[in-house]
Amino acid sequence: MNWKNSNLLSMRSAFADTLFDLAKNDPNLYVVSAGLRPSVMMDKFATRYKTRFIEVGVAENNAAGVAAGLAKSGKNVFLCTYACFSPGINLATIKQSICENHLPVKIIGYHGGLLTGELGASHQMLEDIALMRSLPTMEVFAPLDAIETVKMTKVLAKSNSPTYMRLVRPDSPECYPHSFGFTIGQSRIIMPGSDVTVLGYGPILTQAINLNLKTSQEIINLSSLKPLDEKTILKSVKKTGRCLVIEDHQIMGGLGEGIAALILKSGLKCKFAQIGVDNQFGKSSIDPLDLYRIYGLSTTDIIAKINYLMKK
Amino acid sequence: MKSWGRPVHPLTSIARELRLTVFEMINSAKSGHLGGSFSALDIMTALYFANTFNFDRDHFVLSPGHLSAPLYAILAKTGKIPESILSTFSQIDSILESHSSHKVPGVEFSSGSLGQGLSFAAGLALGDKDHHTVCLTTDGEHDEGQIWEAIMFANKYHQGNLINIVDYNGLQIGGATSDIMPLDELAAKYIRFGWTVQTIDGHNFYALPKALKVAKNSTIYPACIIAKTTMSRGISFMENDYHYHDVKKLPPEIYQKAKNELEK
Repeated sequence: MNWKNSNLLSMRSAFADTLFDLAKNDPNLYVVSAGLRPSVMMDKFATRYKTRFIEVGVAENNAAGVAAGLAKSGKNVFLCTYACFSPGINLATIKQSICENHLPVKIIGYHGGLLTGELGASHQMLEDIALMRSLPTMEVFAPLDAIETVKMTKVLAKSNSPTYMRLVRPDSPECYPHSFGFTIGQSRIIMPGSDVTVLGYGPILTQAINLNLKTSQEIINLSSLKPLDEKTILKSVKKTGRCLVIEDHQIMGGLGEGIAALILKSGLKCKFAQIGVDNQFGKSSIDPLDLYRIYGLSTTDIIAKINYLMKK
Repeated sequence: MKSWGRPVHPLTSIARELRLTVFEMINSAKSGHLGGSFSALDIMTALYFANTFNFDRDHFVLSPGHLSAPLYAILAKTGKIPESILSTFSQIDSILESHSSHKVPGVEFSSGSLGQGLSFAAGLALGDKDHHTVCLTTDGEHDEGQIWEAIMFANKYHQGNLINIVDYNGLQIGGATSDIMPLDELAAKYIRFGWTVQTIDGHNFYALPKALKVAKNSTIYPACIIAKTTMSRGISFMENDYHYHDVKKLPPEIYQKAKNELEK
């Protein structure tokens, strides 16, 4: 999909609007903010639901602790701040206060990946999936676009598990079929194909759609990263024998490693490749897609990897 | 353990019994945090047996999870868990984790990583304004920045239903808190951060319940009780010695000598 010609929608607004609507019917729904209210688009929520908007200031450990305590008292808590700070700064608090205590706090990690653009290395969170998927009891999600964000938010609001959801900063292409729902632990085949299984999560996956190649790609949206829909993945890989995992995240600790292990354990024969950030820090760029070009995550790179997989 | 010039307080005998129980728990596990357990034990005894709070409704958050043994002993004494499992402390098939675990009935917060309890307590107090949330922290734990984040938060939200008791024994695992990271004027700091503060003798059963009552009656301000304590309180030759922060297997003669003192 060509981003420039797509209908671009904001995942952040989609999440904020959905949460605002959910709060109407759920008097227990609370938002904990860590000093980034405008950026996490919670102005409207904060104004309308004053007593349910808890601002802790730039203090992510306290944010996670307060969120855990609120959840312990029976509140439905969404912790909203940048992923580079939560879980970037407060991993130990998430691990103990939230996960070990098995409290269903929903951690919303804004500004995932290189897509964060001009804010550069400090703000482009490239390690969140590695951190979050390694925590026992934590469930991990990353919507494909704004449409899926809406569906996912509604489902996660009812979840009884510690939860992490990754959002991205810029508007991204509308892609998720409206007829699709969202179910925890279920992946969706965005485009069926027979030659190469292409797996990924978040807007970067839309780059693999409509590539105008002779080969046929089966594109699977793994927005439920944990629990992972192993059955659908293995079924596709069995059919194609080739697998490409695409993620706007460090390759080390990323989902690709999990998929590789899954395929190896299954005994299936499969040619495997990965797209991701290779042991590097990000950098500033006004156009985030320029970062995809520089770091090897662009459409051109995806095509090159598919061609590599197709070679005998 | 006589309180100065006054008759022995009824809580003293409960504390004496609990100290013996905790001592046996730690000794049979061949591992445990004796020093802090004994410095905080009288505070916890007052909390659970002075009738100021009812922890079926009010909340107790033990921030230093390594002080789990006295809490488990209290929960056994109050009938939340069977006394028979106390001897399984820290063992592989036991629910009595070395650092306090919420899987134990009556424990509200799994802990062990220091500095997190006060944030959790603040969140709990905010979510349940009809009851009190009492947090126990240690002086050494105040090295953690998160504690100060929570202190500011409680002030901002006027958390009159939040109480933080600081077990101030002046020592931590590697030495004196005044050497490792001085807390100078902790009471003044709390006051400047918008809390009410009482400084008391954390082993005095006349002072403890009174302070708890005063703290409970604070409706607008979060209340801090700085309880000055003695590490390893009750075993004279271990008192105020940071080497007893945690103990492994005690030599039989040390075990007996300590036990004799606790049974006095």
